Amino acid sequence: MTPRLRLTLLGAALAALLPGTAAVIGRLPEFGATIATYGERINAIVPKERHVANMVSAINFDLRGLDTLGEEFMLLAAITGTVVLLRGRRGEDMTDRAMRLPGRAILPRSEAVVLTCRLAGPLLMLFGLYIVVHATVTPGGGFQGGVILASGTLLAYLGEGYSGWRDVVRSHWLDAMEGGGALLFALCGLAPMLVGAAFMQNVLPFGTFRDLYSGGLMLIENLGVALAVCGGFTQLFLEFLEETREADGPDEPGEDTA
Amino acid sequence: MTWLPYAVAAWLFAAGLYGLASSRNLIHLVGCLSVCQSATYVLLLGLGYRWGSIAPIFYDHPPGTPAVDPVMQALVLTDIVVGATLTALLLVLTVQIFKRSGTLDPEHLKPMRRKGDTR
Amino acid sequence: MSVILPLLFLLTAASGTAVVLIRDPARQIFAIAGNGIVLAILFTALQAPDVALSEIAVGAAAVPLLFLVALMAVRAGKVEQASDEGREP
Repeated sequence: MTPRLRLTLLGAALAALLPGTAAVIGRLPEFGATIATYGERINAIVPKERHVANMVSAINFDLRGLDTLGEEFMLLAAITGTVVLLRGRRGEDMTDRAMRLPGRAILPRSEAVVLTCRLAGPLLMLFGLYIVVHATVTPGGGFQGGVILASGTLLAYLGEGYSGWRDVVRSHWLDAMEGGGALLFALCGLAPMLVGAAFMQNVLPFGTFRDLYSGGLMLIENLGVALAVCGGFTQLFLEFLEETREADGPDEPGEDTA
Repeated sequence: MTWLPYAVAAWLFAAGLYGLASSRNLIHLVGCLSVCQSATYVLLLGLGYRWGSIAPIFYDHPPGTPAVDPVMQALVLTDIVVGATLTALLLVLTVQIFKRSGTLDPEHLKPMRRKGDTR
Repeated sequence: MSVILPLLFLLTAASGTAVVLIRDPARQIFAIAGNGIVLAILFTALQAPDVALSEIAVGAAAVPLLFLVALMAVRAGKVEQASDEGREP
């Protein structure tokens, strides 16, 4: 199939879909007029029912907690797939020298960059921790804070280089964090069944509205999600950055380089 | 103005599809897929907005103040996680394809070619 | 707000088109990061701070890094290929 034929087919398909799209856009509710009834009811009753101020966290961890369980396991599966694909090809050696391409100059790392990374790194981790802990009172939560923590470790890569980053980030810790976070979330679902309640029902005391401790079981689920996301994303970065290290053996087992 | 967000979502999706169909580099193709995904974010959040409402966080405002739809925001949060992991897996597959066949051009990767055919 | 929102929507459409039209992968990384930031601004204007936080962290920090490292691996592979082909005959 030539590129021209492919683009012509795409154009024909889009032209065929255009009247349908225009009709649908015409029938959709006017932008900004009203919101769905489900959202209205949640905004009206959840602050009193669960004593939380962040509605999105309440939906993610309590009202639709089952969806978040599925999402965590999807993250786990995708990162396992990445690890299997990349590590299976590369092997499990532990060299920590970054690869050097012949003919390209190695620029020394600027001191301003190193200083900024050393100052900003701990501050960023602290900020990520703040976002994780204040899940039920301010915008934020496990997922947002977890990704901020994972990208905080990238400042170590920028400031110290590949060997420095490899020293700080160990794969065993990340495996434990990722699996432990997902396990914690699954246990939060099963533990209420031990006391006779439904799966993932909020059985802990709800706490005070607008306080750090509010929401009951949501806080433990939030911690589980934060651990899983932080460990998972850092593991992803680790696997990708390992692709840039110096190869010190043949690529395929049993194959000999010339 | 009332139909602008939906039109922008449709435009982004169509632009992403054009990029997917006409790409000559697999890494560029994965970037175009992320444009298709951003079309869904715009559509969902456009459906959940209401003029003159606050964010669904009742810390500074008393509960009962009109707020935007929190369900759409939860959906978009899941969507962003899915998008990031999808991009990562696709990039891994791209790197493996390059190592195995030496090219990143979709036009030159024809799996059903007989052995010995030149490109 | 009724003037800012249409402008932000149009800016989002423009930034998405820019990601598609820039063909060189090394330049497209900047377009992807810019698209992430524009989307985050749009989400903040639509009163969705949680979503904006995730979009900044994922779309402007995590995804461009993944693209950059994939490009690094491909470029290193190309150099190895060239040196292998130079050695064979």
